[in-house]
Amino acid sequence: MSDHARRKTPASARGESMVWLTGLSLVLAIVMVGLLLGVIGVQGMRTFWPRPIERVTLTTGEVVMGQPYETTTYEPSAADTPPEGLLTAETTGEDGLPLRTLYRVGNRDLGTASFRWVPAWQVETVERPPEAVMVERRTWGVWMGTFEGFEIEGGAIEPASIAEFRRRHAEAIEILEESEALTEGGLGSLNRDIEATRLSIRSAELRASNGDATRGLGIVPWLGAIASAAVGIGLFARAPLGRLRGWLRVTGAVLTLGFGMGAILEHPWSGDAPTAVELAQIQADAAAEIDGFRAEAQELEQRIAELRAEARSERAVFLDGSGARRAPDRDGDPSRALPVAQVVRVVTPNDLGFGGKLQVFLSRWAEFLADKPRESNTEGGVMPVIFGTITLTLLLTIAVVPLGVIAAIYLREYAKQGTLTSLVRIAVNNLAGVPSIVYGVFGLGFFCYGVGGFIDAGPADPMARGGGWWGLLALAAILASAAAGVGLLLGDGPDKSKMRRITAGVLWAAAALLAVYLVIRTPYFGGFFPERLPTPTYGGRGLLWASLTLALLTLPVVIVATEEAISAVPRSMREGSFGCGASKWQTVRRIVLPAAAPGVMTGAILAVARGAGEVAPLMIVGAVKSAPELPVSGDFPFVHPERSFMHLGFHIYDLGFQSPDSEAARPLLWTTTLLLLSIVLVLNLTAIFVRAKLRAKAGGSVV
Amino acid sequence: MEREGGISTKIGAAPPAGQAGASRYPVIDAIRAGQPVESRVHESVAEEEPVLSVRGFELFYGQNQALFDVTMDVPRGKVTAIIGPSGCGKSTLLRSVNRLNDLIDGVRVGGEMLLNGEPVYAPQVDVIDLRKRLGMVFQKPNPFPMSIFENVVYPLRIDGERRKNVLSEACERSLKGAALWDEVKDRLNDSALGLSGGQQQRLCIARAIVADPEVLLLDEPCSALDPVATLKVEDLIHEISERYSVLIVTHNMQQAARVSDFTAFMYLGRLVEYGRTTEVFQTPRLAETEDYVTGRFG
Repeated sequence: MSDHARRKTPASARGESMVWLTGLSLVLAIVMVGLLLGVIGVQGMRTFWPRPIERVTLTTGEVVMGQPYETTTYEPSAADTPPEGLLTAETTGEDGLPLRTLYRVGNRDLGTASFRWVPAWQVETVERPPEAVMVERRTWGVWMGTFEGFEIEGGAIEPASIAEFRRRHAEAIEILEESEALTEGGLGSLNRDIEATRLSIRSAELRASNGDATRGLGIVPWLGAIASAAVGIGLFARAPLGRLRGWLRVTGAVLTLGFGMGAILEHPWSGDAPTAVELAQIQADAAAEIDGFRAEAQELEQRIAELRAEARSERAVFLDGSGARRAPDRDGDPSRALPVAQVVRVVTPNDLGFGGKLQVFLSRWAEFLADKPRESNTEGGVMPVIFGTITLTLLLTIAVVPLGVIAAIYLREYAKQGTLTSLVRIAVNNLAGVPSIVYGVFGLGFFCYGVGGFIDAGPADPMARGGGWWGLLALAAILASAAAGVGLLLGDGPDKSKMRRITAGVLWAAAALLAVYLVIRTPYFGGFFPERLPTPTYGGRGLLWASLTLALLTLPVVIVATEEAISAVPRSMREGSFGCGASKWQTVRRIVLPAAAPGVMTGAILAVARGAGEVAPLMIVGAVKSAPELPVSGDFPFVHPERSFMHLGFHIYDLGFQSPDSEAARPLLWTTTLLLLSIVLVLNLTAIFVRAKLRAKAGGSVV
Repeated sequence: MEREGGISTKIGAAPPAGQAGASRYPVIDAIRAGQPVESRVHESVAEEEPVLSVRGFELFYGQNQALFDVTMDVPRGKVTAIIGPSGCGKSTLLRSVNRLNDLIDGVRVGGEMLLNGEPVYAPQVDVIDLRKRLGMVFQKPNPFPMSIFENVVYPLRIDGERRKNVLSEACERSLKGAALWDEVKDRLNDSALGLSGGQQQRLCIARAIVADPEVLLLDEPCSALDPVATLKVEDLIHEISERYSVLIVTHNMQQAARVSDFTAFMYLGRLVEYGRTTEVFQTPRLAETEDYVTGRFG
């Protein structure tokens, strides 16, 4: 009876199709990511699992021995067409094309490629001889074949078992390792001593010819001046320093007085330039020292040569699959058998049970993680690469998180919200979209050549010494004190004058610009490493500059995340803190930052994940194919952030596209990719764990 | 009906119909018309010694005036309640005492305010030092994301106090003063955010009294609490008033009647009537006040 118009709900309004669409998109995304991770995971893990070795006799009578990798069909070329009637059901794929199998045949020193396609129709017989061995060698990659015995006097062969080989191999390796330890430890340190002495001569010569424009000009008074200035500025800042102010005032006065007196009395900027006689003496002393080092080095070299010869004296005979050719000596000379010490590992995959294979698998993983690369990265381990990646990421985090957080605090808490802050915010967001290669180029120009060059050799174009520079310094000091003075008048009250704020800002900016100008053109600084030129020390590509470049790259991520976390802290909490009589800084430090910490961590996680996976800028600012020396070592000063380094991302590129034998590098490529993913995963998990802890500590955080 | 100042308020409602001609509310009408009115301050206020004196105080949010010529003395050692409809400026007045309004851009003030004889708004006054002399509790409980202990001693911490025994002592005294000690004494190191709303508000009161403030400012401290918690906090205000001067903003007339010694009624940024709570509630001088406290107006 009701005459109400019934309202209808059309099917589109129910949105059922949208549910399907959204679900489908998610499934698609998950499937794609899962596929990628799955392929990398499976292939990466398979690399080190010993595959069986097959001996394939071809219809031509040729024997191929190797590990089968994959079987596919192929489109035969004219030269390679199988004769009519030879193709049977067994040698044809489902698409009617002939089948072929990829074998890893090794034996690169015989002049063949590491991998070889074998068409199935050419195969006569396939067998898996239990005596087949895969020999991993220090050079020339793997050898596939059989073990015959040891070479004895006159080229005869003394037959032996694999077990016997393993025993003698262990002995030879021990001797080899001793010689390597001597090379790296004794000889290396002697070489460094010689280099250091040579540099000391060069340094003395430089000081003698340049007078004081070297590092003799005393970093100490400079540090003193900087400290005094910092303390002076500290006197103006009120609340954050609290009761430190009095102490700072006294310390500042003492420091200023002390360094002032020292500067006047000692003229530290005039350096310690040696006279001609002193220089001659230094040169003579150093030359004698170097001669001593050289003599020592010669003795060591002899000992090392003896050890090496001893390690190489035992030679084993390995034949290839056909049994016709022997594995040659290290330099490819087939008349001599392979020295036992040249062998890294011998695997008999056809003869191994699951346990034995697992053992090989684990030992190869251990080698991969703990050893240096061999054979232009296609064999051996990636320890320096992992080390470089992790060090880079740590340095990047140390650089980017404090900088980004502090910048975000200023932008959100202290800066007056207006057009200028909006512009800064837009600029920061845009920085996140700049292609990373641009950062690389900038890093090379600014950090490596600019800042690094300055550290090495001082300003490229210094001002003349004397009144002009000091006059500008005085001007900078006056500007800074004027700015501090105007700033002091500002107060905290609502009567803040816009004019005064702008004046103080302009004065500060002018003082800062002038200070930077004075530093980059100072005539009183000749660099820290002038004696090493033209070889750059910090003025080249290196770990420090790479991490700073990546820090710059990831800075926007940290700033944006921190800003969001900070602004999510409720106003009521800040007001509560102000109501207790806390200053702005105390409120930020004790209330806002702890409450925002989990959000800040999220930003750091994103930044680190992005930084760790970045490759393009690293190729420009410091990652190299092979860095024999780690950035941390036993020689003074133990940390060498100026050294170039190896990086997993770059290593993958190098393995995949820059290898002399990219086929041979392929197995390792999968494993390296898997490793990079795992490291990023571990870094992320750590950060997520820390964030969870922080959240728990904040007790149900607001962010 | 033009309003000058144009502060945002929900009290745009016309007076009851039929009274437009000869209004029952001449004072309110005058305020709405933007004319200055004289506050009816009872003589009883002058008998008390003031802890806070407000003299011709005015406050502007940019172009909008929120407080007009407010003059009132807050008696020492008593509870003074400020009542009035939403947007009448009572919270603004309270937040002017510890200059929390300074945090808002574009706020200007006029007139004078004296805390124990010392000016609040003078160029040489350090706002941070001023706020250390006052304690404030807000509408919504706002414990900090840290432990109960750290919450209570926060005002001491920011003054640089580090001695453990001093802090523990102050914490216990303050929590006892806020009637919270027995409930939390076994879990002082737990997060304060795990407490119930009522407990959180009493914690905020403990935090406000730990540094022995000259005036305790309460900004609708019970508006976010349930009736039981409200009762507890009101009892607490009673107890505290023996030791502190309390200035409380509330829009709950019963609460004002229950906890306060003096009551000020504000409307659209002006002080309308101010006197002993008993007088204001039982024998008000203005029909507006009588109707407001009985709920017939506002």
